[in-house]
Amino acid sequence: MDTFVVSLLNGAVYGLLLFMVSAGLTLIFGMMGVLNFAHASFYMLGAYFAYALEGTLGFWGALVASPFLVMGFGVAVERYFLRRVHHHGHAHELLLTFGLAFICAELIKLFFGNYPVNYRIPQAIDFAAFTVGSVGYPAYRVFMGGVALAMFGLMYLLLARTRVGIVVRSAIYKPRMVEALGHNVPVVFMGVFGVGAGLAGLAGAVAGAFYTTNPNMALELGAMVFVVVVVGGLGSLEGAMLASLLIGVVTSLAVSIDLSLADLLAHVGARDWAEAVGGLFTLKVSSLAATLPFALMLLVLLVRPGGLLGEKP
Amino acid sequence: MDFIRTALGGAALCLFAGASAAAPVKIALIETLSGPQASAGLLYRAAVRYAVDGMNAEGGWNGEPVQLLEYDNQGGPTAAADKLKAAVAEGAQIVVQGASSAVGGQLTEDVRKHNIRNPGKEVVFINVGGEALELTGEKCHFHHFSFAGNAQVRTKALVNGMKSVQALGTRVYSMNQNYSWGQDMEKAISDQATNGGYQVVEKTLHDVNKIQDFAPYVAKISAAKADTVITGNWSNDLLLLMKATKAAGLKTRFGTMYLDQPGNLANGGDLALGHFVAQTFNVEAGGAQGERFAADFKAKTGQTPVAIQPQAVFGLWMVADALKRVKPEGGNLNVNAFARALESAKVRTPLGELGMRAADHQALLPIVVSTVAKDAKFKAEATDMGFKPVKVFGGEEAAAPAQSSCRMQRPA
Amino acid sequence: MIRSTRHAGFAVAALVLLLVALPHLLSQGLLNAAIQMLIAALFACAYNLLCGQAGMLSFGHAAYFGVGAFATIHAMKALGGAGLVPTPFLPLAGAAAGLAVGAAAGWFATKRSGTYFAMITLAIAELLHSLAPHLKGWFGGESGVSAMRMPAFGISFGSTTHVYYLTMAWVLACLAALYLYTRTPLGRLTLGLRENSHRLAFLGYDVHRVSVLVFALSAMFSGIAGGLQVVNNEAANYVLFDMQLSAAPVLHAFIGGVKVFLGPAIGAALMTFFGYAVSDLTQSWLLYQGILFVLIMMFMPDGLAGLWFRCAAWRARVGTLRAMPGLLAAISAALLLAAGTVFTVELLQRLFAQDYRALARAAVTQPWPSVHLFGRDWLPGAVETWLVPLALLAAAGVLAVIAKRMVRTMSYATEPRGVTASTTPLAQAGSST
Repeated sequence: MDTFVVSLLNGAVYGLLLFMVSAGLTLIFGMMGVLNFAHASFYMLGAYFAYALEGTLGFWGALVASPFLVMGFGVAVERYFLRRVHHHGHAHELLLTFGLAFICAELIKLFFGNYPVNYRIPQAIDFAAFTVGSVGYPAYRVFMGGVALAMFGLMYLLLARTRVGIVVRSAIYKPRMVEALGHNVPVVFMGVFGVGAGLAGLAGAVAGAFYTTNPNMALELGAMVFVVVVVGGLGSLEGAMLASLLIGVVTSLAVSIDLSLADLLAHVGARDWAEAVGGLFTLKVSSLAATLPFALMLLVLLVRPGGLLGEKP
Repeated sequence: MDFIRTALGGAALCLFAGASAAAPVKIALIETLSGPQASAGLLYRAAVRYAVDGMNAEGGWNGEPVQLLEYDNQGGPTAAADKLKAAVAEGAQIVVQGASSAVGGQLTEDVRKHNIRNPGKEVVFINVGGEALELTGEKCHFHHFSFAGNAQVRTKALVNGMKSVQALGTRVYSMNQNYSWGQDMEKAISDQATNGGYQVVEKTLHDVNKIQDFAPYVAKISAAKADTVITGNWSNDLLLLMKATKAAGLKTRFGTMYLDQPGNLANGGDLALGHFVAQTFNVEAGGAQGERFAADFKAKTGQTPVAIQPQAVFGLWMVADALKRVKPEGGNLNVNAFARALESAKVRTPLGELGMRAADHQALLPIVVSTVAKDAKFKAEATDMGFKPVKVFGGEEAAAPAQSSCRMQRPA
Repeated sequence: MIRSTRHAGFAVAALVLLLVALPHLLSQGLLNAAIQMLIAALFACAYNLLCGQAGMLSFGHAAYFGVGAFATIHAMKALGGAGLVPTPFLPLAGAAAGLAVGAAAGWFATKRSGTYFAMITLAIAELLHSLAPHLKGWFGGESGVSAMRMPAFGISFGSTTHVYYLTMAWVLACLAALYLYTRTPLGRLTLGLRENSHRLAFLGYDVHRVSVLVFALSAMFSGIAGGLQVVNNEAANYVLFDMQLSAAPVLHAFIGGVKVFLGPAIGAALMTFFGYAVSDLTQSWLLYQGILFVLIMMFMPDGLAGLWFRCAAWRARVGTLRAMPGLLAAISAALLLAAGTVFTVELLQRLFAQDYRALARAAVTQPWPSVHLFGRDWLPGAVETWLVPLALLAAAGVLAVIAKRMVRTMSYATEPRGVTASTTPLAQAGSST
């Protein structure tokens, strides 16, 4: 029972971390139709900027400053790179962001080296918040979850209850009309891109201390973020929250399930046959923990391509 | 660039055609120098460069300096196969690799096929890091030499080392990555259960380098009430596992194979204290000779030798020893004669004598079991901790028997 | 420049002759690179059938390449190593597997369009990539499956030259087939899929069936490319399903130009050669590759082939003599920019490298020891070390502005469509109505 509760909590926190990164991506996609391959690179940049600033500003100062730096970087990317290729079509934007992801990773390796860097949680917060059974639950994880929830709350309020939010949401649906009404739509796009990047940077700064900060962070998280965005619905913030929680919990719980298809077939007495066939039948769910999100993504795409909370295409 | 090199090489050859040209020995390093796994490949490159410079300082071979050609296999076996062909086209007779077992598997097979198709123009593969058991098992052949450890050798040493200081306990959890190395480790951990006096309470194989959150696995460790976790994990998988264990407040001991990789101590901090690692070299255990070696390495490359670098250097010292005992035939190196000489090579390393076993071409490496402590003589990576040796096992003592799946065919 | 079918035919014939003569001109190492370039060209052209002609951007084409590769390696290993079919026919196994898997995957994927289609193909490829290491019987774990080429028809297939001729024959045959496909009614229908699939439906065609057919054909040729790769390497590994390999044909196709039939082939050949040549020269070659991608996407949206045609049109209008200065200025600007960037990146890489930082910390007499670059020693503290790249980049900028002014009339050039009215092999695969 303890294991189940711990796994559930861990899955929820991991899911909230995924949400922090994918919130920006889903907003950017909903607004501009750009699937930003470089988004995971913003996550990595956030962690590295926080590491670089830790010396001068301290851990908490760096945590606050780093997202703004990444936001600035995101705004620059949108203004000087993406805007140029916008009228050539989606494929060009996609490939441009792909090239940018490459460049980011290589620049990080150039300046910071190939190995993980020493970006760690400060001693002050490195304790157990509460215990579940015999296992302590680290306070930093609770902090991470708290930051993600606060972010979700702020974003939601911003989009739903403020004038800026109204302009942003209408720019998603009818950019030309909004432009005709006198709003500066390119600046809105730039702002959304920047805020999305800043959110990913915040996620990186917060999570980089808990997990490792290395040049392959973008690759490790990249595919999962896409899965979240697709499953949740392209453009839907609530969908991203739901999908990331779902995927976090599923991945976390799957690790403790040591069953396979052969065990399932044992109910109909076909276990020996299944084990003789081998291959797909003897694969345990626990070793497939990292594969399940892709299967879920495929399923959602085939059955309900708009995603769980997105709109029908 | 290749074109120019080839043209210049051709011109040079024509110029020297008259004299009995002594062809220099060319060693090709086909390593992962770019991409996600470049960190490991760059370590091997530094070590190999150091060793080849040392060879040339002692006169090279046949009056000519030994040439080191470097190729980037971009982390994958496909590009490695291409670079091997390029290396052979440029006249390389010795191929070196260490960072990846998958690349090692590809190279050893390609070298074997090349030798079958080109008798008289053989190439030999010096494996300084690929630790998959199949390389000295079913994929063994006469022109492959392994100077790396493997799961059996390292686990045996680790278990004996930890047992000697009563750090092992009776309940051991086997946590490994789901690929050949991890599976080799899992089997080795089970094999050593009687010798180590423990019971393997649970075995887990997880995805390689994909998992960010090890908390579910830590929950499993806690549920199994394990005293020790023995794992062959490396890089992120090891670091994140240990971080997650510490975050959960578990007091389990870790017995690892790769804790001494650069970045682990710096990133992990205090959580690494008290855990064990089976290393192929430790400066403190090497005594005065070890310190001299480390100082010389640092003077020439800018950093002390870490993790797998010493085993690569010692492997190339064996190669140098074999080269000294092989006379040129018609100005060129006879690779089969070189291989036979390498089978009987012996060098004196700071940890003891290093020899080669002719049955499966596995070097008999000394292994050191160390623990992370604040009172180690040599601190690692600008932290206040280092690896303090607990027990040193000589080459013969640490060796695991040759695998029966290795059926080596020797040339006449 | 190439303006008529006859000229295009001569150019193609000359290219084929060059390919045939290549083993006598190149070293074995370069010949192997040529084999890789041919395979990449076929893969990119097969991809372009789906992307450039049918307008469906797929992000998981490595799946079909990989499936073809594994089918071929198993065919090579079959019957105790003798091979299911003689060596020259082995890529047929890849074709069959590619066709089958492509039809199945395509049936699901083509039910949606646009971004959703791309996401489905990505999901299929990633799913295969995740599952492959677990299914050891088929995919051989992380060391993969390996086999050996057997002699056939009196040829030993042991040397690179033999493999080169086999690859060349297959690639030329497949490219010819793909070109002939564009001349068939089905080929025209494919273009219709890109232009206006709604209208196709109203004309009475079953759009889904046509899409599946095109997808399957594209996957079939990708499978052949995978099979050729395996015949060359005699091994297949699950890393063939990696995302990088899926992105490669997309990048090659767009760099070469998707609107031109041989565009992707040119892009693939160039980028493969770039990777081959530069990866051994410098550690930061991935950075250069990324910069190249970004620059081409930003400044050459219709790819290298598009650039070629625009240059040709401009030159045709203003005459060779007047075109020369602008062209020279543009080429010099590009070269200077490359030189400046390379210098800066290499210098920075050496300055931030771990061994340099250790040396810098240890050095007491001189706080910043010199860096060895391009055969000379440079001091980071000295002004001239930084002046060189700055001067190069500034010169590049100035020349670029000059070139832009000289070529201003190029922006008034019409699209390549207007220039080449007839469909030639080097021109687009079909003109719009």
